[in-house]
Amino acid sequence: MRSRTLPALLALLLLLPAGCQKAPEPTELTTFAMDTMMSFTLYGEEAQTDAVLAWIPTQLGALEAELSATREDSDIFRIDRAEGQPVEVRACVSELLSDTLELCRITDGALDITAYPAVKAWGFTTGEHRVPDEEELAELAAKIDYTAVGWDGPAVTLPAGMELDVGAVAKGYAGDLLAETVRSKDISSALLDLGQSTIVAIGTKPGGKPWRIGIRDPAGESYLAVVELTDMSLGTSGGYQRYFEEDGEVYWHILDPDTAAPARSGLASVTVVAPSALLCDGLSTALFVMGLEEGSQFWRDHPELEFDALFITEEGQILCTAGLEGRASLAEGYEDREVTVLR
Amino acid sequence: MRTKLILALLIGAVAVSAAVLLLQGQRTRAPVARITRDGVLLEEIDLEETQAPRSFLLEDERGRNLISVEQGRIRVLEADCPDQICVDQGWISDGTVPIVCLPHRLMIQIVGGEEGLDGGAG
Repeated sequence: MRSRTLPALLALLLLLPAGCQKAPEPTELTTFAMDTMMSFTLYGEEAQTDAVLAWIPTQLGALEAELSATREDSDIFRIDRAEGQPVEVRACVSELLSDTLELCRITDGALDITAYPAVKAWGFTTGEHRVPDEEELAELAAKIDYTAVGWDGPAVTLPAGMELDVGAVAKGYAGDLLAETVRSKDISSALLDLGQSTIVAIGTKPGGKPWRIGIRDPAGESYLAVVELTDMSLGTSGGYQRYFEEDGEVYWHILDPDTAAPARSGLASVTVVAPSALLCDGLSTALFVMGLEEGSQFWRDHPELEFDALFITEEGQILCTAGLEGRASLAEGYEDREVTVLR
Repeated sequence: MRTKLILALLIGAVAVSAAVLLLQGQRTRAPVARITRDGVLLEEIDLEETQAPRSFLLEDERGRNLISVEQGRIRVLEADCPDQICVDQGWISDGTVPIVCLPHRLMIQIVGGEEGLDGGAG
């Protein structure tokens, strides 16, 4: 008896250190970049997480300098003022433009990076909002055409009078780049929040449970739904994010490339979940422009993009694609609402 | 005799580690407002502990924000920023939408209290 008890107890003793480990403490950073507040939460060896967090603001600053449409030293700024001449761009801009132009093509122009003059005309870049008249809108819409962007390796040519802007996907692109670095440092658990509209979840939470992200109610100030993420990105586009009111009418920043006016498709917000944050950002904008019917058909037609979507209509109806079943639920206080699953 | 001693020590070790685990599990966080400028923590306010309403001024070379705190909620009462977005947002009492004063790089975020959510999108 004695000879058996002792080894058993010794074995138990070996298990104890694992049970006694303290709950892992995250390393966190909040920083201002790309016109928004971003926050990063990393779990792992402190030396590694500290090094990554120290590097993130530098990396974001460098990206911003290359992608901003308003900074005079950026590649985008140079393209917009080249008057039809080819402009050689840096490798990361080249990669971003090629991925984004592909998204413009796949969405048949529902996402269009050449809508920048229209965004400016509405005053969304400066905050000096105004409502352009119909004639002006028709002129602006005629100049929105991503297919006119000449693309030859690292050289980009944009016809004179057109301007492009990658604001709709820049945060997603940054999220993908940061995620790549975090993963390469053997950090297997992290949440990268690039200003609420773009979130990248790396791995699970310590302990193996998925990250739980609240989705804002477009008609209020609280969370309406919760989406669970494991090694996934999420992007939300909503009219409430940036808008102004004039004569009782609401005008928001997501423009329909066909009309150069705010996209009124009946949707109040679209959330896209996919491995790539750039895809999430670009598609959430495109699906918002398309509307529920066209957007859900796009989801059925493009299984190769490996994305799912949560649509919230202006009437408050909630719909999600089949892949989110079991991963999306209603938030506290919204349990009586109905979620329609699209198939 | 020696076995009994080892046994006693082992039981003791198990009891201590069990106690540590239980105590860790009980640690819950009340809603706390964290005020940061450029990501640097300026103030951390336990909103449940705040009994009497109070106001205080946060000021640097970018400008001024007058913060108002009541039990369970916080707001920017006045600010000299051009857009007044932080003032117009009014009270916040949960972590859904942080108050951000971009011109002053100031952010008020409520953490804790909301069990089970790791982030918010919108």
